[in-house]
Amino acid sequence: MLRVTQTKNTLLDGATIAEDLYTTPKDCEECFDSLELPGKNPTKLCPRSTFVRAGVLTTVRGSAYMEYGNTKVLAIVAPPHELMRASARRMNMGVINCFVNFAAFATGELESVPEREKHLGSMLTKALEPVVCRTEFLNFQLDIRVLILDDDGCLLSTAINCCGVALVECGISTYDLITASSACIYRDNVFLNPSAKEEELLRKHRGGHALAGSDNSSPTAALQEHGLITTASMDTFEQVAQCQQGGYLSPATYVKLLDYTLTINKSLRQIIRRVLTARVKEQHELDVREKAESALEDQRLAEIIERLKQQGLDDFIQTNIKEDPFVKR
Amino acid sequence: MAYVALSEAEKTFILHGVEEDFRCDGRSRRDYRPMELETALVSNASGSARLRLANTDILVGIKTEIDVPDPLTPEFGKLEFFVDCSANATPEFEGRGGSDLAQELVLALENAYESPLAFDYRTLCLIPGQQCWKLYIDILILECGGNLHDAVSLAAKAALHNTKLPRVTASLLDAGVTDLIISDNPYDCTRLTIDTVPLLVTVCKIGDYCLVDPSAEEEVCSPVSIVVSVSMRNGEAFLSGSHMTGGGAMHRDTMRNCLDLGLSIGEQLNTLLAKMLKQEEERVGPKRPKTVGFLK
Repeated sequence: MLRVTQTKNTLLDGATIAEDLYTTPKDCEECFDSLELPGKNPTKLCPRSTFVRAGVLTTVRGSAYMEYGNTKVLAIVAPPHELMRASARRMNMGVINCFVNFAAFATGELESVPEREKHLGSMLTKALEPVVCRTEFLNFQLDIRVLILDDDGCLLSTAINCCGVALVECGISTYDLITASSACIYRDNVFLNPSAKEEELLRKHRGGHALAGSDNSSPTAALQEHGLITTASMDTFEQVAQCQQGGYLSPATYVKLLDYTLTINKSLRQIIRRVLTARVKEQHELDVREKAESALEDQRLAEIIERLKQQGLDDFIQTNIKEDPFVKR
Repeated sequence: MAYVALSEAEKTFILHGVEEDFRCDGRSRRDYRPMELETALVSNASGSARLRLANTDILVGIKTEIDVPDPLTPEFGKLEFFVDCSANATPEFEGRGGSDLAQELVLALENAYESPLAFDYRTLCLIPGQQCWKLYIDILILECGGNLHDAVSLAAKAALHNTKLPRVTASLLDAGVTDLIISDNPYDCTRLTIDTVPLLVTVCKIGDYCLVDPSAEEEVCSPVSIVVSVSMRNGEAFLSGSHMTGGGAMHRDTMRNCLDLGLSIGEQLNTLLAKMLKQEEERVGPKRPKTVGFLK
């Protein structure tokens, strides 16, 4: 018997299309209430569930794909090529160019996309400059392209992680593995690896509620710190490659958030290390198999040549002519 | 950045100077080069300032416009930064050569001014949700002598202090549409409070030491520097944005030292700038100093 599976059509069910054209401060409040509040001092310093894979594309030398929770990012590194702009030439350093692109479906709000692409690109370049051995390709430029497939916060840090893997995959020499993570503080709550919703609260409303307390009431009302910090680190020698911060933070809070992100970076490093080792092993196995196959081929050829030598040319050709079954003599 | 070619020997000389706390021009690691600051130079702008920090020359003009506020932040005004690297500064800026540097400066400033605690956007509000001021902060780099971030932010803050917004005297509500009547009297104006406006401080690492206000030559010697944006509020220093630049990395503890240095320098700069601006303000009439700049 045939059964029709019911498809849910929200439009037919009487719901409206868009929830709201724009959010008002009140919505912002509701949005904040709907969040799960982690409290002042987070206990679990760990990255989100992560999936990394190196070498996802066959057309370019170095590519990597990473999922960090719901954030999905694809990075592509092409081998260095000669500098196109002579003015960008440096005496003893190669140049890194990073281009970040959002896929059309990656994010809900399209308005701010070009601005964010520019910002992310500039920050990504700054973060990757310390990790690449730029002295090895002077007068060359290294183009790194990042495609964001899905935006659920932590874009910059995920892009940095993904590019780090892609660089290794491409065979660009690097000083160390680079890992990055971000944390933000909003109304005394520390969000580690903030989601898109949490970042949006911070960015779009620009901590508007930070002012709520200091409105007209007593000036001594506690100041609402807010801010986002993204740290990229290379942990072999505990170097901080980039630390980008926005918002309004007291120095103590800044250091606190910095330490949280550094701890997360350490555990991310383990993951990326594992992925890269697995990738090398996989590549090695492929190489071994290929070698075995070519050895087999060589052996077959050697046998044929041996037979040729034994039989003599004419004989060999006679024995190797196969009759065409469709053509009758 | 404008590029200066230095030989290894010159670099070593600078490095040794920094190690002994006696830099090429005789400063210690915490000293700034002499600064010249003038305000109200450009007659067509609502506010302007020119800052000369040794060889770095910055001119800032602020223009105002009435705009509709962002629906998400109905009671906030708007700021827009624009940096123009003139080809006079260095030949490298010819064509689109300066666009990377200009973009970097704009991003740094936007990041620093983003928080409403750093710049009170509510003072730019006329009618919440309907009308607000939009300030165009146009920054012209006339000469490039190192430490652009600091110079640009100082000049921008001075120009904001100098900005005069015409007083909006009356608004008529006509079927929900507002009409603004803007005062014709050029002296009838409101000013902006700049107490919490951030300043950028570049802390440069050379060798094992951190220093402020690097000259163009010192910038070449430095593997990494951190740009700290310092905003003063209730006598305390806050960070309103920071990032690392220069293509190197540093240890966490070094970074903390740099941060502390940047914060304390930022605090001093803030008080000094406020003092100088107040002094200039007070010298009116015949006591007003002659403008020494080339504009006039």
